Amino acid sequence: MTDADIEMVVAIIRPDRLTDVKRALAEVGAPSLTVTDVSGRGSQPAKKSQWRGEEYVVDLHQKVKVECVVADIPAEDVAEAIADAAHTGEKGDGKIFVLPVADAYQVRTGKTGPDAV
Amino acid sequence: MLELLPLQTEAQAIADSINYVWVLVVCFLIFFMQPGFALLEAGQVRAKNVGNVLTKNMTDWALGVLTYFIVGAGLASIVGMLTSGASLDVMAAFSYIGAPGSTGWINWVFGAVFAMTAATIVSGAVAERMDFTAYVVFVVVLTALIYPTVQGLTWAGGLLSGPTADGTGGFIGEALGVGYLDFAGATVVHMVGGLAGLVAAKMVGPRKGRFDENGDSQPIPGHSMLLAVLGTLILAFGWYGFNVGTQATVLAVAEDGSLTFMGAALGRVVLVTTLGMGAGAVAAMAVSTAWQGKPDPLWMANGLLAGLVAVTGAVPHVTWWGGLLIGAIGGALVLPAYRWTVDTLQIDDVCGVFAVHGAAGAVGTILIPVFATSGSGTAILGDSWAFLGVDQLAMQIVGVAVIGIWTVLATGVTGLVVDATIGLRVSEEEEEAGLDAGEHGISTYPEFVGDSGPEASRRTVSADGGSGPVQTDGGVEEAASTDPVEGGESDD
Repeated sequence: MTDADIEMVVAIIRPDRLTDVKRALAEVGAPSLTVTDVSGRGSQPAKKSQWRGEEYVVDLHQKVKVECVVADIPAEDVAEAIADAAHTGEKGDGKIFVLPVADAYQVRTGKTGPDAV
Repeated sequence: MLELLPLQTEAQAIADSINYVWVLVVCFLIFFMQPGFALLEAGQVRAKNVGNVLTKNMTDWALGVLTYFIVGAGLASIVGMLTSGASLDVMAAFSYIGAPGSTGWINWVFGAVFAMTAATIVSGAVAERMDFTAYVVFVVVLTALIYPTVQGLTWAGGLLSGPTADGTGGFIGEALGVGYLDFAGATVVHMVGGLAGLVAAKMVGPRKGRFDENGDSQPIPGHSMLLAVLGTLILAFGWYGFNVGTQATVLAVAEDGSLTFMGAALGRVVLVTTLGMGAGAVAAMAVSTAWQGKPDPLWMANGLLAGLVAVTGAVPHVTWWGGLLIGAIGGALVLPAYRWTVDTLQIDDVCGVFAVHGAAGAVGTILIPVFATSGSGTAILGDSWAFLGVDQLAMQIVGVAVIGIWTVLATGVTGLVVDATIGLRVSEEEEEAGLDAGEHGISTYPEFVGDSGPEASRRTVSADGGSGPVQTDGGVEEAASTDPVEGGESDD
């Protein structure tokens, strides 16, 4: 068991960037990930839609949340890889957060700590 | 003379065979309007109410045919007898049940598919909040009383039908000297359905959230434009049976036994039907573009149907360009008529049945004398045009008024009785949860709304209906995917 920190990179990205992000994560050596459909609001302006000409505002945009836990690979590398792959330059590209993880367990092997990641 | 008789009988048998097989085929086509209505209405409601609106559509047909067989068709004949110079004969009115002859039952089915078309329009107006039991009562009253009465006043020889040599025409028809023109039921079927829906929607009240505290309308988008548009096109397909099939005589038999193919009559009906729906859709597309800035598929679909409704009464009576104009007027009126229903009347007519079936039916039928074709008329654009006269125009307006007032009053009384006994509306909690769950204990889209089973949780947030579920495979390129699950494991 090493003393390496375990960190979680949480990225909120555009759904259509997911394929590129997955490829970038694999290239940086951190292919394990969890993906969730989410909705949220940031700097992206609200969308207007209409039904029978009556307008309504959609201010929660569909996004994808990618969670990636790493131990040996620096979380900054992972975050940068995601940021590069998810970048379009328009408002609504998303955000990336890095969080400390207290511990990890691998269900199949019973390994704990960085070995489990 | 005696030698002619067998020939004549033979000719009659041939003509009957062809005509009645044609009538049966169009009955099946008109029946196919039922799935059209079901899809159209299902697409315009939210996912949580789809099963309920489908059940109501099936009930229209299933319970409606039983009611119309036991009561409705007979009552139509009785109303016809009572409101004209004809004498009352209850046995004759119900003869289709016990003594149908060779064609009585076919004729009954032909009448039934029209009656059920009127009945099924109502569910679109009251969708997403009317109690199912209350709706069942509406179906029974509509197919037993409201529609048959209108049929009696018009097609069954009653109040509005034209004068006859022996004075047995309808009372108003005899008085005005002309009969009411509504060929396939623009008012008899569609305006009745549209007005009944409007009144029922008024009485049951708007859906929760449809109007804000200032009375301004708030949109409640339906769950599938795809279903709504496909339903519209299926309806249009069935409509060919509705309009062209009302030209029920394909082969006519003369006194001397000679046969005449009625191609010209069939041709006018099918041409005007086609031009009417095209013009209605194009007009609605233009109006919606002018009004909203972009062509709107739902308005276009509604306009196509309104064009069809508008020409339904007129098809054999008007010039081809008259039919085109009537269809265009019907389609152009859909959007303003809907806005008037919502903004001025404050009625939440979910599928716009008043705009599509009510307003278009009334306007198209009143305009028949204005665009009429006549053998002795003026030739315009290859068709012979003539104004049918003030009497005919007056008759059209009186007819629309009589049918409209009866429908509004009868539906209103039914609504009051149901409200006082069963209650018209589901509870607020049930409306919130959806009528699929509340009225039927089902979920139309279990996976979509997160009800797929005891272990399922709500997985998606319906925010803007954007992208579908996350693609869980096929995303990572081969080079990178050594072993995605274990690949994160470190070597040390």
